[in-house]
Amino acid sequence: MILLAPLLIALLGALVVLGFRNHQVATRAALLITGLEIASLMVIIRQVHERGVLQVGRYLRVDGLSSFFLINIAFISGLVLVYASGYMRHPGEGRFTSPRWFYALVFLFLFTMISVCLSANLGLMWIMMEGTTLASALLVGFYNTKGAVEAGWKYLMVCTVGIAFALFGTIVLYLAAVKAGMNPDTALDWAALMEALPRMGFDSHLVKLAFVFVIVGYGTKIGFVPMHSWLPDAHAEAPTPVSALLSAVLLNCAMYAVMRYDAIVSHAVGAAFPHTLLLIFGVMSMVVAGLLILVQRNLKRLMAYSSIEHMGIVAIGLGLGGPLGLFGALLHIFNHSVGKSLLFFSAGNIRENFGTLRMDRVTGMARTLPQTSVALVVGSLAIVGLPPFSLFVSEFAILSEAFSQRRYTVAVLFLAVLSVVFGGFTYYLLRMLCGDDPKSAPANGRLLPSEYSVMGIAGICLLFFGVRIPHIFTVIIQDAMAVLR
Amino acid sequence: MKTAINIIQALLLILGAPLVRGIVARCKAFLQRRQGASIFRPYSDLAKLFRKEDLLPPTASIVFRFVPFLLFGTTICVAAFVPLVQPSALLASRGDFFLFVYLLAMGRFFLSLGGFDGGSAFGGMGASREALISSLAEAPFLLSFVALAILASHADIAGIVSWTQQQNIFNISAVHMLAFTSLAMVVIAETGRMPVDNPTTHLELTMIHEGMVLEYSGPRLALIEWASAVKLHSMLALLVALFFPWGMASSLSVGGIFLALPLYGAKVSVLMVLLAVIESGMAKLRMYLVPDFLGVASAVSALAVIFTMLDKR
Amino acid sequence: MGLVAFATGKILSSFSVFLFLTILLLVVSRRFSTSVMLFSVQSAIIAAEAFATGFRERLAAAYVVAALIVLIKVIAIPCAFFGLANHLKTSSDMKASTTPTQSVFIAAAMIYLSYAAVQSYGLSVHVPDDALAAPVALILTGAFLMVSRNKALMQMLGLLVLENGIFLAALTTTFGMPLIIEIGVFFDILIGLLLMGIFAFRIRDTFDHLDVSKLRRLRG
Repeated sequence: MILLAPLLIALLGALVVLGFRNHQVATRAALLITGLEIASLMVIIRQVHERGVLQVGRYLRVDGLSSFFLINIAFISGLVLVYASGYMRHPGEGRFTSPRWFYALVFLFLFTMISVCLSANLGLMWIMMEGTTLASALLVGFYNTKGAVEAGWKYLMVCTVGIAFALFGTIVLYLAAVKAGMNPDTALDWAALMEALPRMGFDSHLVKLAFVFVIVGYGTKIGFVPMHSWLPDAHAEAPTPVSALLSAVLLNCAMYAVMRYDAIVSHAVGAAFPHTLLLIFGVMSMVVAGLLILVQRNLKRLMAYSSIEHMGIVAIGLGLGGPLGLFGALLHIFNHSVGKSLLFFSAGNIRENFGTLRMDRVTGMARTLPQTSVALVVGSLAIVGLPPFSLFVSEFAILSEAFSQRRYTVAVLFLAVLSVVFGGFTYYLLRMLCGDDPKSAPANGRLLPSEYSVMGIAGICLLFFGVRIPHIFTVIIQDAMAVLR
Repeated sequence: MKTAINIIQALLLILGAPLVRGIVARCKAFLQRRQGASIFRPYSDLAKLFRKEDLLPPTASIVFRFVPFLLFGTTICVAAFVPLVQPSALLASRGDFFLFVYLLAMGRFFLSLGGFDGGSAFGGMGASREALISSLAEAPFLLSFVALAILASHADIAGIVSWTQQQNIFNISAVHMLAFTSLAMVVIAETGRMPVDNPTTHLELTMIHEGMVLEYSGPRLALIEWASAVKLHSMLALLVALFFPWGMASSLSVGGIFLALPLYGAKVSVLMVLLAVIESGMAKLRMYLVPDFLGVASAVSALAVIFTMLDKR
Repeated sequence: MGLVAFATGKILSSFSVFLFLTILLLVVSRRFSTSVMLFSVQSAIIAAEAFATGFRERLAAAYVVAALIVLIKVIAIPCAFFGLANHLKTSSDMKASTTPTQSVFIAAAMIYLSYAAVQSYGLSVHVPDDALAAPVALILTGAFLMVSRNKALMQMLGLLVLENGIFLAALTTTFGMPLIIEIGVFFDILIGLLLMGIFAFRIRDTFDHLDVSKLRRLRG
């Protein structure tokens, strides 16, 4: 029963917050609902940790893997909503741009993402995945500028087509299951499939075909190259809290879906096929995104390409397999979301103060926005993978797995791209921090409590996890890995 | 006996052609909420023309004088190819569909020459447009036939018709559907009907077929008009025979023949009404869009040929 | 009853032919209203196929799905499209990036490709080749329509044709997925179309035109 709680809270919360016309009251209501949401998620995670698997009815199920992603959702959505309560205090023009619409849409978005992690049925997972696209499209186009509308349209179109291909993959998998003799009613149930696979022989052609379509389809939502065309636009034009949610939570949910299918396909036809595909997409995404980082002009687009690169790294970790690779991939998912959120928060503050996100127009930040500069430096150093930040640990794990499996090309490409990205980020960072004061001095360099508190939490988390991962966290990740075995 | 029936078939095609034209015109008038002329009007038109004086332009050469007869002659031969009430016709077993297509082409060729020879500017314009349309329409015409011939393993029209008659009427074949679409478009282009050409236009700049015959008068004009009516009737009858031949008398019984005749009448009436609907419903295509129209027909007929490889039905 | 059985048998064996015809006509249509009518006819054919499958396999779920298709895709969505086009006050001429001849040749190539692609799977799934090739051809056509048409409304239509293809694939191979999932998919499509309609209005309001090929400000 507790499984229904976060879903209901999010859904009802969306409706409730629409009722408050006063901005302050709506914001406070939103914060309250967020608190309730995170509390219910924590309860679920704790119960799963104690009992293993929670299931309600035929369609909702939480196991170790889902609870890991629920931690991710809870933490990041908490940070983002606290940040948004300060960031969105100025209502925009236009009909649907008041904060209450923002919070309502965000809660709908959260509802769909949590449902993806809670679904036991692959069909329901697909429906909710499409739901995430629909829920976030209006958020991407929230500001109603030309860029936002174009980005929103592209996002909607490309992701819907991609998800349609994922539907085709789901259908082919269903076909393979039914042909092998499974009961049609349970043929889309993940746990039933995992249980039946060692016993029944599935047609390997069909399963491979299904996985190809699924990885292309859900890969569009993850942002794998060459299906990534929507990502930089959407993440750049969306309001900053939404960008953080998209980069740090949505991409992870899509990766979760691919992980579920990877488990099924590995059990059906062996791990070589799906892992090779994951490696190919991962390396392509990492290399292409890493190179494109060098030619960016907009700060948030730069961060969007960095997200693509890191999703590529996660895919490489998954594709390598092995205990270290899988551990590194899962840890990297969490670390990347924290680091990317920090970066987007700083970008939001830059936009508020400088009025633009073009990196060539932002100079002398170290003098005028000291706190934001610190956050930006910490975030950038973390994102490029420097110690003592947490991303170093996860990337090191993936790299060691690559070396231990003698995949030297992958390892060398990995290191090369990391160096290139380090160079790019350092160049842009130095240009923004140093230099003369800009012609238009920023209005107010101070951060709101809502803003600096979450940035502080994120920074401390990055540092802390880089030095020592809490034992409880390691256990949770190991539970997640056990599910996939 | 068979020959007699074949001769009667050909005569029906030739003599019934003006009636077909009249019925189509009457249907169009009905759709356009006009009274319309009587369906036997083309007969009285032909009779009137045969009584009138034959004037020749001073610049005309011998080609101009003989074109109407050549055209009429080739069109009669074409009419002899088409089966009406039984799966055979006068010439249907003597020549294959290539002969059919190129007899029509020969008639068109001479008509174009006559258009040039008449010496008027509109004749030349109509002739050159007709040359473009006919060269583009040749490919889909042949390819549709080729698709049907591959399926039937016969190249003569009688063979194709009798093969089709033996198939089950409810097995809708993709090849036939595509070939019918393509051939229908070709029929519209060949016979100069909307949306390719307006047969009732009086604006010389828009004329294609009418432009070529502007200079003819009297009996010669009557022959040309009759030939174009026979062409329309033959092509409609061809569509019926190739795609809906069920009901034709496969044996030589008199009863079968008498049953097949009204059935043929019904089928060709459906096509006539369809033609009237299409003509009234579509605007004439501008000249630069006609190649697109025929390009679509070519692609559809090419697809029909490809489909013969895919499903052997 | 014998007649119904006969009719459903014939529908099942020959529906793919009619679908190919609608595909060919869709790629050459130059007016928006023709395209929407063709989509409606296409959905009607698929609904007939669903109905026939339900009759043959005695699946109540297939009947429900057929009814849903008729309600939503044959009636509701085309009406919504016409209303949207009226409100948006766009010109009815499609600006396609390929001429009709090229489009038909591409469509013919796609149909051939879809047959070639299903060759190896036809035997293992016990479904005739036509019935497998038609959905693949629909998917390819939907993708082609989205790519070659420049107007936002036509891209939505291409997406719908693509979904039609995927749906038909599910229908012919597995006689439909569990009913809950099918209904969920329908709802997703509906809400997706609603959102795309909202975005179409926004595009028209911010850009003053609906030509998505001109939306190229964000690059790099």
